Amino acid sequence: MLKKDLLELCLLQLLSQGDKYGYEVLTPLRAAFPDTQESAIYALLRGLGRAQYTEWYMAPGGGGPDRKYYRLTSAGQTRLEQLRTDWRGMRDAIASFGVE
Amino acid sequence: MKRQKPLTKEKYLKQFSRAARWRLPPQESEDAISDYRELLFQEERDETRLAEELGDPVQAAHLLTDVKTYRRWLKVFAVLAFGLFLLAKWAWTGWTRFYFSFADQWWYPVWVMAVGLALSLYWFKRHGQKNGSMPKWLLPALLVVLAFGVGTMAWNWHVFSQIFLEHYAGMSPHIIPWQVILQQELVINGGMVCALLALIGLVLAKCYDRRWLALYTLAVTVAALCGFIIFFCKSMDLSATIRGSAQSYLFARLIPIGAAGLIGTGVALC
Repeated sequence: MLKKDLLELCLLQLLSQGDKYGYEVLTPLRAAFPDTQESAIYALLRGLGRAQYTEWYMAPGGGGPDRKYYRLTSAGQTRLEQLRTDWRGMRDAIASFGVE
Repeated sequence: MKRQKPLTKEKYLKQFSRAARWRLPPQESEDAISDYRELLFQEERDETRLAEELGDPVQAAHLLTDVKTYRRWLKVFAVLAFGLFLLAKWAWTGWTRFYFSFADQWWYPVWVMAVGLALSLYWFKRHGQKNGSMPKWLLPALLVVLAFGVGTMAWNWHVFSQIFLEHYAGMSPHIIPWQVILQQELVINGGMVCALLALIGLVLAKCYDRRWLALYTLAVTVAALCGFIIFFCKSMDLSATIRGSAQSYLFARLIPIGAAGLIGTGVALC
């Protein structure tokens, strides 16, 4: 699993917890991966949209203009399951070397 | 050590928009710009840490670029820009190292124009996008180029008339009448300026609205007409036969070329 796949896993996991607007997605991911800039995470988010793992809709944002909200599609849910399985496999493989 | 200049949100969005419009297809670039506007103008966003959090704006646009599509655009742009460079160079020097035995040199600018028109219209009709109502400065720009083109052609009509050429031939070879100097200045400088305007039209058509291609089309036509005249002048002599037929020979060719350019301009505007 590459770092990109880990980011993708976290991003899809975040969206599986509920619909979120761009800033809500980018901020926690950047906090978790401080060496990754938001532009890279945004590019990944767009890539997921192109692959139809996510979709978006406009909805009123807290008192300001409408915001773009992202949500997971059923294809995205399947992709998330696949990435979770990959992650568990990698975690177990690393653990077998005694890495905590 | 080079210090990074602090970016404001507006400046960041401007730089990002410019890079995105240049690199991405129209609809994608507008989507990305609107998303970045939302991201940038969040209340929580710290303006002093923009570059650190979001990355360099050009790099941000680069990350969204579909390399294959962008390279294809760069190739098209390179061909069109090279054509404009040739037109500007020919206008300035009136000379080319290319030699084709089957055609006179004055046709070279017309070939460049034909390739430019066909390629640009094909590309922008397929990949370009209109953006709301007609751009504000497009019509004035077209009128200026058109007025210059018509004026220059009218002046050339006068200079290539048999009466004027007879008068010119009768003068000492060391005296060049002011009418000829003006004609040379018009076609040389006009050809170069039009090639530059065509380049500006091309960039604006990619970044803002494909109808800016009309500026490219019209300006490249005027530049090609100027190139045609320059090469023709360089190769002509003032023998009696030429003096009698120069005007009709020249304008029997310039008028259809100009008409083709005007049709191309109309198509670009639709």
